[in-house]
Amino acid sequence: MSTLGYFDRFGGRYVAEILQQPLVELEQAFTEALADPAFLAELVEQQRNFVGRPTPLLYAGNASRELGGPPIYIKLEGMAHTGAHKINNAIGQAMLAKRMGKTRIIAETGAGQHGIATAAACARLGLECVVYMGDTDVRRQQPNVAGMELYGATVVPVHSGAKTLKDAINEAMRDWATHFETTHYLIGSALGPSPFPDIVRTFQSIIGDETKRQMADRGIGGGTLVACVGGGSNAMGFFSTFLDDPSVRLVGVEAGGRGPAIGDHAVRMSGSGAEDGIIHGYKSRFLVDADGQVAPTHSVSAGLDYPGIGPQLAALGERGRVTFTSATDTEALEAVKFFARTEGVMFALESAHAGAAAIRLARQQESDKPIVINMSGRGEKDLFITSPLLRLEEWKEFLESELARIGGAE
Amino acid sequence: MSIPISLMAHLVAGYPTDELAKAAAQGLAEGGVSYFEVQLPFSDPSADGPAIQSACAQVLSRGYTVSEGFAFIAYLRQMFPQIPVYAMTYGNLAYRRGIVRFAEDAAEIGIAGLIIPDLPFDHDEGLRQACTQVGIDAVPVAAPSMSQQRITLLGNHGYPYVYASLRAGITGTETEIDNRTLLFLDSIRGSSRLFGGFGIRNASQVGLLAPYVHAVVAGSVFVDLIGAHAGEGVAGVRQAVREKARELTGM
Repeated sequence: MSTLGYFDRFGGRYVAEILQQPLVELEQAFTEALADPAFLAELVEQQRNFVGRPTPLLYAGNASRELGGPPIYIKLEGMAHTGAHKINNAIGQAMLAKRMGKTRIIAETGAGQHGIATAAACARLGLECVVYMGDTDVRRQQPNVAGMELYGATVVPVHSGAKTLKDAINEAMRDWATHFETTHYLIGSALGPSPFPDIVRTFQSIIGDETKRQMADRGIGGGTLVACVGGGSNAMGFFSTFLDDPSVRLVGVEAGGRGPAIGDHAVRMSGSGAEDGIIHGYKSRFLVDADGQVAPTHSVSAGLDYPGIGPQLAALGERGRVTFTSATDTEALEAVKFFARTEGVMFALESAHAGAAAIRLARQQESDKPIVINMSGRGEKDLFITSPLLRLEEWKEFLESELARIGGAE
Repeated sequence: MSIPISLMAHLVAGYPTDELAKAAAQGLAEGGVSYFEVQLPFSDPSADGPAIQSACAQVLSRGYTVSEGFAFIAYLRQMFPQIPVYAMTYGNLAYRRGIVRFAEDAAEIGIAGLIIPDLPFDHDEGLRQACTQVGIDAVPVAAPSMSQQRITLLGNHGYPYVYASLRAGITGTETEIDNRTLLFLDSIRGSSRLFGGFGIRNASQVGLLAPYVHAVVAGSVFVDLIGAHAGEGVAGVRQAVREKARELTGM
């Protein structure tokens, strides 16, 4: 847990005064919920029968042999309901909101995974759901928009700023400032004003708790855990169980994008492009310009395409407890292909950054200590992005014939 | 009106152009405003409504810098020395330059004080101290959702000015001034002078609020007006803004 909302010098509650009291109330409600056996019992029930936990820990024997290094394991978090770890947090916070008497949930989403998870959780708990999504993302992530709407959510395209995730966060903050009496803002990553980083990590820590048990069941220990890092929710959930275990190395993988130029990546920790900043309600490392304006970012994976990093991960990075590295767009795509071919497992592009770093580590590593990758999401959601990159001509033909078919049906 | 109206008018620095922003300031001065509140545009202004956010984005899209914003304020100080300027912005612009240096630079060009809504008064990164050092005001923002405990805490700091944001929400939508609002203003007044605003659009709202605050703040109404008249050039902007300011100040 944070100390009064801070992780070393990062974190805090840098929001307009109007939101200070709602955050205090949220913190109190969260503390009370965690001490309530009935709440925890319902959470376990939802995790088991709605989310589909535990998710498997797969021994990737073919991949390990081909790389000629240590044994590689994959935590198949992407097998959770709605296709990614996001549902762990969404269902937990939705339960918390309902307990607080809120009737309406708002959320921000970039790629749409958090939006899908939130919409599903709200449908299940009977809560109204509004998802803010940058207009650019709405256009390029239509399958997820369709999914959210099927779950009964209202998707609001955001036309301000860069029309991406960061702008959706601003819009959600605005909505919350106006409607906090009835509405809970369900933040999807381990960032934002305190207590959100603590709440999100707590609901995601089931990933690490399960992994620890599953490793013990297999008689493996120590080694290296690898997770991709956008805001940091899957990484914090995966790592938090192991923070006090010095035999386990923790590696966070950022989006190297197209290269090191400003606007071509989302590397906050492993490069030299980031600065301390106060944005979106918390203090952390951010990609900003000389004036402190938020800089543009890029990643082939929408889920990593964000200028900041959760405050706890920033602190763990500075302390040296978590080591950061990055993987490029190309490396991530190669990792998707590699694990699909060798293990029959399709990584989401976000998680494939962790896969790419693990491949690199396995080739370098001398010892036989295991490498455990968190596959935070599965890759089917990315077919509209990977197909034009991997098989452009066939994909064009498909889209054209689909267009003709739909047009012809009118 | 029996009570003289003191109006704080909000401008986005450099919006929509340097020339038209200066024309708007001229109109406000002629319309009898008592204070300028000049916003230094930030890329992610989460406490502002759509009108001000779009204005900021438009200004930033031409590469506008904090230094240019300060230069705009320096111009206002030179042209209208009788009208104090408060600069409003977001924490990261001050933090990036360094809070102390930001306050020093602000004082140097004659800014009367800084309003930074996402640096809350109890975690202000040293803003109040830095401002005191250079003889300007850090103006904290108070909101009706504040607990009694926080209101007391704020009062204990003895700020000379407090900015009261008068509705649960963001700038740019209509405000009704009800009993609850007036009770809130009484609770935060203490020994501070109050700037009260958010959502002020017409003279009757100003008339209702004016007796309870030191100055009434009007923001989005001017930003909207400037945007709407931008096509008419310097004279059009100046006249439209002057007329609205006169309506609000009762001049």
